[in-house]
Formats: sequence, C-alpha cells, structure tokens
Amino acid sequence: MIELKNVCKSYNKGAVRAVDDLTLTVPPGEIFGFLGPNGAGKTTTIKMIVGILAPDSGAIAIAGRDNRREPLACKAVTAYVPDEPEIYERLTGLEYLNFIADVYGVPARERGERSRRWLEAFELAAVAADPIQTYSHGMRQKIVLTGALLVEPRVFVLDEPMTGLDPRSAHHLKEAMRAHCDRGGTLFFSTHVMEVAEKFCDRLAIIHKGRLAACGTLEELRRQAGDSGSLEKIFLETTGS
Amino acid sequence: MRRLLALLGAGLRQNFALATIRHKFFKQKQERWLLLLFALGLLGAAPLVVGYFIVLGRLYAILKPMGQETALLTLAILAGQLLILVFGLFYVLSAFYFSRDLEFLVALPARPFEVIAAKFGVILVNEYLTVLLVVAPAFIVYGAMAARPIAYWPLAALVFLLLPVIPLALSGLLVMAMMRLVNVSRKKDFFILAGSLALLAAVLFLQLGLAGTRGPEEMMRFFTAADGLARLLGEKFPPCIWAARLLAEGFSARGIGYLILFGGISVAVLLLLLWAAERLFYRGLIGLSEMAARRTKLSAAALAERFARRRHDWQAILLREWRLMNRTPIFLLNGILSVVLVPVMLFFMVRSGAGSASLAFLKLLGSGDRSAEILFSAAFFIACGCLNGTASSTFSREGSSFWISKVIPVAPCRQVAGKFLHSYLVAVLGVLGGMAAARLALGLSWQSVLPAALLALVAGAFLTAINMAVDLARPLLTWTNPQRAIKQNLNVLLAMALDAGFVYAFYRLFVILRRAGLDGRQLILAMLAATALAAAAALFFLGRIAARRYARIAA
Ligand SMILES: Nc1ncnc2c1ncn2[C@@H]1O[C@H](COP(=O)(O)OP(=O)(O)O)[C@@H](O)[C@H]1O
Ligand SMILES: [Mg+2]
Repeated sequence: MIELKNVCKSYNKGAVRAVDDLTLTVPPGEIFGFLGPNGAGKTTTIKMIVGILAPDSGAIAIAGRDNRREPLACKAVTAYVPDEPEIYERLTGLEYLNFIADVYGVPARERGERSRRWLEAFELAAVAADPIQTYSHGMRQKIVLTGALLVEPRVFVLDEPMTGLDPRSAHHLKEAMRAHCDRGGTLFFSTHVMEVAEKFCDRLAIIHKGRLAACGTLEELRRQAGDSGSLEKIFLETTGS
Repeated sequence: MRRLLALLGAGLRQNFALATIRHKFFKQKQERWLLLLFALGLLGAAPLVVGYFIVLGRLYAILKPMGQETALLTLAILAGQLLILVFGLFYVLSAFYFSRDLEFLVALPARPFEVIAAKFGVILVNEYLTVLLVVAPAFIVYGAMAARPIAYWPLAALVFLLLPVIPLALSGLLVMAMMRLVNVSRKKDFFILAGSLALLAAVLFLQLGLAGTRGPEEMMRFFTAADGLARLLGEKFPPCIWAARLLAEGFSARGIGYLILFGGISVAVLLLLLWAAERLFYRGLIGLSEMAARRTKLSAAALAERFARRRHDWQAILLREWRLMNRTPIFLLNGILSVVLVPVMLFFMVRSGAGSASLAFLKLLGSGDRSAEILFSAAFFIACGCLNGTASSTFSREGSSFWISKVIPVAPCRQVAGKFLHSYLVAVLGVLGGMAAARLALGLSWQSVLPAALLALVAGAFLTAINMAVDLARPLLTWTNPQRAIKQNLNVLLAMALDAGFVYAFYRLFVILRRAGLDGRQLILAMLAATALAAAAALFFLGRIAARRYARIAA
C-alpha cells in the first residue's frame, strides 16, 4: 500500500510547481496505473515515493510507514525502476545483480533461481557476464528490471516501464506484475501509453499539471466523465486545457 | 574560425557553469559548518604559501652571490612544465577521448582540429589555475629581489601564458599517437592503461632517469659557468631555459631572440598538434566505447555459482567502489596508480643526479634528530596515501548513478562506512609505497619508518574522513567527463588544501610539544594520541552528517 497525503513539490524555488497537493492511495492487490502527459509530474511523484526527492509538504507512507521517518523500512520493501537506466556501466550484469541482492539481503539460495528465470525471460542470459557498458538502452532497462524482480519486494514502483521494452519482454513483465498483485503485492507504475493502461490496469489515476485530474477504476472514470468512450477519449478530455 | 570560437565558448561555459552552481550552493547557506571547514583549511594552507615564498627568497639569496640566480626561474618553469606534462597526459586523455560530449561533437559539422583546439583551450585555462601556485611566486620573488625594470612584468605574464602550451601540446601528441595504436585492439581498457603508463614512464625517465651521474669536476664546471646551474636543470627540456633567459635578459636583442624562439616553438608545437588531430584523432576515437563482449551464455550451474556468495551490505558497497574505481581508466590513473607513482618518482629522482640534492636536503632535515625524521617521514607517507583524490571524490564518482544509493535499503552511515574502507585501503597502499621508497631509496632505518608509518596510518584515517566530508557536502554528480569527477573536481582541490592545513597543524603541535619538553618516544606517543583523537572525532562527524546529507542530495 502506498499513501500520498497533500504532497507538494516545486523546482527552482517555487518557479515550477511539479506536483500540487496530490492525495492518492494505491491499494495492494491491484495494478495501479499513473497516467499523464509529458511534464505532468509523474516522475517527480515517483521520485518522492522512493525517497530520491523530498516533498516540500505533505506525507508519503509505504506499507503503513512514513517514508521520511522510517526510510530504511520503506526502502526494504520497495523496488524502483527509473525511466532512465543510469547504472554502473563498469560492472557486469551479474555483478550488478549480486550488488542489488546483497544490499536488499536476498538469500543466496534464491538469487540464482530468480535471476536465471528473469535473465532467460528478458533474453539477457547470454550477456549477463558482460559489462553493462556493452548493453543497449533496452538491455540496461531490462537488467534494472531483473534486479527489481530479484528482490521480490512487496511494492514495485516503475517509471514508464513499457517504453523501450520489446514486445516479448513487455509481455513477461506484465505477467509478472499481474502475479505480484494477485499475491497481494502493490504495483505503482506510470505510463503515457493509453492501450497499456486501458487493458492492463485495475485502477487508474490521471495527473495533469501536477494535480490529480481523475482517479478510480476504468468504469468509475467513465462515470465521472459521463462518457462511455475509450480511456484515450477520457484522457484527452481531462487533460485538454 | 567562428565555429572554433563557438566550440571553445561552449566548452568553457560547460566547464565553468558548474562553478556558478557551486556559487549558488554557498549562497543557499545550507551548510555553514562547511564554510568553517574551508576557512580552516585555507588558514592552514596559507602558511605553506607564505613558506614557499620564504624558501624562494632564501634560495635567491644563496644563488645570487654565485651568479646563478636565473636558476630560480628555470627551476620554477621546469617544475611547472613537468607537472603539466605528467598530469597533462591524464587531462588530455580524458578530455579528448572519454568525455561524454564527444559523440555529440563528432556529429557536428566541425573538423577534428577544431574539436581538438576547443578542448585544448579548455584544458589550457584549467592548467593556468594549477601552475599559478607553482610558477607565479618564483616570478614574483625574482622580479622583486632582482629589482627588474617594469618591462619584466608583462614579459613574465607572457611567459606564464605560454608556459603550458608546449608540454600540453606534447602530451596531446603523445596521447593521440597512443590512442591511434591502441584503438585497433579489443582489450582497449587494458591497452589504454598500459599505454598511459608507458608514456608516463617514458616522460619521467627522460626527465629524471637520463640525467645519469656526473663526476664532481663536471658538476663544478656547471656551477662556475654563468647560468650553469640553470642550464644543468633545464637541459632535458630546453624551452624552460629559453623562457628563463628571456625573462632574465628582458627586451635586449638576446632577450627578443629567446622570445621568438620560445613563442615560435610554442606556436609550432600547437600547429603540429592540430595537424596531427586531422590525421589521428577520429581514428583513435571512433569505436572506442566498443568493448570486448564475450556473449557466452552461462550454464545454470555456472550462474548458480556466481550467486552463491552473500555479502554484508558494507562489503557490497566496498566491492562496488573498488571495481568502479579500478575499472574506469581515468579513475584508476588518479587513484591507485598515482599512489604507486609517488614512490616510484622519488626512487628515480634519488637515483638521478638532480635528485641527490634533494636527498641531501632530506638527510639534513633529519640529521641526528630521530623525532624530526619520524615526523617528516610521516608527512611524506601521508602525502603518498592521501593526496590522490580517492576519498575526496568518492560521492562525486557515482555521478548519475547516485539514485541507486538513495533507494537501496542501506543506512547512509553504513554506505559511508563501506566507502571509507575503500578510500582508506587506497591510503594504506600509499603509505606502504611510501615506506618502500623511504627504505629503498632514502635508506631510512626501520626505527624511523615504522613509527612514522603508524602515525601516517592514523592521520590517514583522519584525513580520509575529512576529505570524504568535503565531497559529501557538495558532490559533483552531473559530470560527463570522468576527469571532472576526480582531477578537475574542486572538492579534490579543497580537500588537498585542507589536508595541507591539517598537516601543518600537526607540525605546529609537534613544535609546541617539543617546546614543552617532550622528546623521543613520549613525543611520538603524544602525537599519535592527538592524531587518533582527531581521527575518532572526524569519523564520528562523518557518520553524523551522512544521513542528513544523503537525504538532501537530489539525484
Ligand atoms: N530537476 C528539475 N528541475 C527543474 N524542473 C524540473 C526538474 N525535473 C522536472 N522538472 C519539471 O517538473 C515538471 C514535471 O516533470 P516530471 O515529473 O518529470 O514529468 P513527467 O514524468 O510526468 O513527464 C515538468 O514541468 C518539468 O519540466
Ligand atoms: Mg517522466
């Protein structure tokens, strides 16, 4: 469970209001999609959830704990995949995975099994022993995802995970996320691709210019908008100003 | 020409825009304690600068009656140019070949020589800052004590401006030639390292090794001839003799001759660099980032074996630091390799003719005075272990990957502990290298070397913690050129100033304790206790600020 309460964040000393009084609850067991046009404040929100940025005001709780008062407890149950996979280029994929497993305290027994499974699924098995420097952008993204899946956290926070993934990998990721939520886990992911959101999410939030424009299941959104059309249409209407 | 100026302008802006960010940082007044720390460091470093002026003045007074005063200029110019030649190799390698803006620059409709000229200009400006401290004081002391006419000063400024051109252009030529050769191989990182070391060794060997031993009569000849000492010092690198002569002669016919010679050669070498850039640069650059990838699939068993070991979080951090530092050629050259380099240089210097003077000087310092010998050896070991920028760039080096450190569930003070261990490990290696040099090259006894090493190891823990605190206060995470994270990182310079200040403070303490009547073993034990106390305090301080600073660094 992720709870945001009246979260505000601005850049450049208040010149840019990136997130404006955002209140949001991401319940466990449901795939939660965070939608918004470019520059809406999705990445900023996500960075505050995982503790990279501190909000100007408001509070964020993960699994019932305040992420600023008990940061380690929150981080221990969260895995985060950023939109830009900037990771240690000079390590090999395996060394990176081992580093992640070490710092998250993944038992040695489970590491081999889990990483083999995801390296296979993402077609990285052949390059895992090579330096990350030799990876393409998509491969880097997949090794970060592998690291996150290796941890098997209760909470996944993914920033635009589908952009840049090949169809097969995207499919595997969706299945893994579905299974994670079915087990009662929490998933929060941002996207601006409507098809993904419409078919894949149980619950959606639309953010526009830093403010929450709509939130609910697809049905609820349709009812709110008084419109039975596609998500795309609702999205364009809510964010069209 | 317009394109060249635009490139140069962009390069300089990028280089110094970061300075304005730093400026803002200070204005925000978040970290007042830091300002205090810097003020302390500068206050401590000030006596060193003053001391340098005094030593130069004394040297002039000694040289003058022998008619050898020009040697002061030669010495300063030679030191400055040698410094640039050696460190220029690193700067040039990093700026020409490892900067991340290169992909962008190569795609621009600019000629290779224009790209190189712009990069050269940026390095040149940076070099002026470096040599200012070494060369300018000598020019000032000479000008003032020899009561030179007004015309001396513009000439001195001109020589100062031209000074880095020849060594830097030579570095550039050497590096471009090396990279052209290396870029055909698959194991590039290895060959780049090996090639850089070979270049470095060649430069050092030419400077120091070839001097050979001279008989006493021959040495006398140098001393009795006018300017003989200046010629002896500069014979390996004639431009520095020309520059010194030019300053000594002023606007006489001979002076102008030297001016034309020095200026002409500077321009010629620069043109040669640009000419070579057209032929060598892109062929050395293109495909450089392609690395040897094995692309062999591991079996399930092999994979399981790779994951068999579970480490503690601090061990994982330590291992990561070690690997990232040693696998990035620029970091490695600045870190462990420079730790190895200092003792090796000392060894060669002592072996060469020019070094015997410094050896005599060192012996003099410690003559019969065991405590002083221990203290000076310890200072030397500290210099070997702590002046390499490993600790003072430990956060900056993470660069754009710093977000990982912010999201992993490892308490900042534990992360800092892992980083401390890494930096301290490098410092320990430096102290060991210094010990080897002290034993083998200087022939100091174990009775001096061991207590000095102990003192240096404790002081090393203190300085490592202080240096890390400086970088933690304002890490430079936005670099594109790895050299910026370490050699050109202002934090590294500030930390060095601080180190110098603290070493000086320890020296003052030594003097005070001695005046108070302590000597021998008691004196050294008291120094050890004081240093250990300082180290404990610094580590405690570092642990205290870690969590707060980690929370404030936006990644
Ligand atoms: N580091 C930053 N400094 C200043 N402004 C920023 C920074 N990061 C993001 N912004 C601004 O904040 C707003 C929200 O950005 P972001 O959260 O990245 O949006 P999204 O991820 O939804 O595309 C944008 O207007 C963007 O320009
Ligand atoms: Mg974004």
